[in-house]
Amino acid sequence: MAQQMKKQQQSAESDNEIQEQVKKTGNVQEQSDALDAVLDDISSVLETDAEQYVSSFVQKGGE
Amino acid sequence: MPQLRDSSNQGPGNRTQRSAEYDSYARIFGIETEYGVSVTGANQPCDPGQVAMMMFAPILSRSRSTNTYLENGSRLYLDVGSHPEYATAEARDPSQALVQDLAGEEIMRRLVKGAQARLRKTHGEHATIHLFKNNVDSAGHSFGCHENYLVRRYVSLPVIKQQLLPFLVTRQLFTGAGRVSDNGFEITQRAAFLDEGVSSSTTRSRPMVNTRDEPHADPDEFRRLHVIIGDSNRSQWATFMKLATTHLVLCVIEDAACRGVSSGLEACGLTDPSASNQAMSADLSCHQATMQMEDIEAFRAAQQKFGTQIVGNADSTGKVTALEIQYLYWHIVSRFVEYHGDELENSLPHTSCKDILNEWKRTLDALSEGDFASLSNRVDWVAKYQLLTQMERRNPALSPVQAQEIDLNYHDIANGTIYPSLLKHGLMETLVDDDAVEHALGNPPTDTRAALRGAFIHQALHSGAAFSCDWTHLKTTTPIRCEATLIDPFASKPDSDYEQLMNSLR
Repeated sequence: MAQQMKKQQQSAESDNEIQEQVKKTGNVQEQSDALDAVLDDISSVLETDAEQYVSSFVQKGGE
Repeated sequence: MPQLRDSSNQGPGNRTQRSAEYDSYARIFGIETEYGVSVTGANQPCDPGQVAMMMFAPILSRSRSTNTYLENGSRLYLDVGSHPEYATAEARDPSQALVQDLAGEEIMRRLVKGAQARLRKTHGEHATIHLFKNNVDSAGHSFGCHENYLVRRYVSLPVIKQQLLPFLVTRQLFTGAGRVSDNGFEITQRAAFLDEGVSSSTTRSRPMVNTRDEPHADPDEFRRLHVIIGDSNRSQWATFMKLATTHLVLCVIEDAACRGVSSGLEACGLTDPSASNQAMSADLSCHQATMQMEDIEAFRAAQQKFGTQIVGNADSTGKVTALEIQYLYWHIVSRFVEYHGDELENSLPHTSCKDILNEWKRTLDALSEGDFASLSNRVDWVAKYQLLTQMERRNPALSPVQAQEIDLNYHDIANGTIYPSLLKHGLMETLVDDDAVEHALGNPPTDTRAALRGAFIHQALHSGAAFSCDWTHLKTTTPIRCEATLIDPFASKPDSDYEQLMNSLR
């Protein structure tokens, strides 16, 4: 009985491990998708005139 | 030896009591941010300086001054040819200072939106005002995000140089905002523009820590540490950690100075803080020995004594890595936190010192292991660098000026798209919810003198009285002439002078 419980516990634990693994992989994929989405947004930014954008920011008088 | 006491300091007058917090580890935090302004897309020439003045028109119209204190206790400042500046109300906790700083961003953002709407009537519908929370423009002009810490008077300037400066230089490993420079990507925005270590000059050179002694408090008790070496952060975590870790290091320094003993941090002295600053800023691996120690033997001995990691041999170059220095600070602070228990935990009303320690250690360990990915949602320079390298991978033809555009866009709090995108897609951590920021737009912290200043301003505006104030004084001129002094930044409860002043407004 004790051994059976232990086996069940072990299998439950390994199920959890697998769940954790799936969650991790899921998270990695989500992260990657999220990063792609941000990079897409940055691509839109780059459609503007970068030269004008950058050179228009000139400001003296700071500390 | 620079003149340390400002001759215009008024004495404490008829004060007989010390601040209740003089003997504790309590701290007053403040963040002053200079913003950069630019305009794109206008259909005719447009001067950003004039645009900045236009931004402030709603505020200037009521105060007739370039220095305006708000109902949340903060200060807005704008002068011709200057950067719009927001200085947070006094806070007792880094999380409070963070909320106030975010409120400042929102106040600035709304002023820009208003000015932009007016600008579009005359300069075309595409006229766009950019408001940069950063530290360098495109022509190499540098401006600041300065921290203020109230420090007990008995901490001397040489001690600050030897024991605090190395911490301020190396904390940039996790507080640096990153910058696309002509020499490649750097960890910090400001390293190329800072020279001396500690100075009392504000204009001739650009020091890392300023010692001009306007403590805005009783000068016999406190000095105001004005930290100039610090980047403007978008990351809320970085702003918080910047203040929180510095607070702990200051506690160690103050305690040792008070008792006349060694803090252990003497061994951290740098031979050339400015050179070390520039060297660590250029090292994206965070593993190069860039820091020249004043006394390498003392440093190695301290590492042994406090049980922190040692990298490399006690070689003749006397250089160590910035990480090693951070780890030594961490170990000394950790021991201090453990030893002082509750007394130190009580120094911050909303934050646990142990939590700060754990988060700090986690960050150092990630840097040590080269696990930059885990830091990309909280360390500005890592987030920015990751985006740039990924963009280059997508688009190998990405030009230097396009990289600069990405860099600037990251810091544009009015019309930037990159940072909001990171938030939207869950790639940047936040610590504060919108409600707290909304509340802080009109409400000061309740546990510092900012509460009294805010209430006074609110009442004065309501009553239509002519008034003025600064960090330590409140005054009405018409219809009734009355004034009060707020000398203790920790004191949030009214005294009789203040009650009289408030009564005169009702």
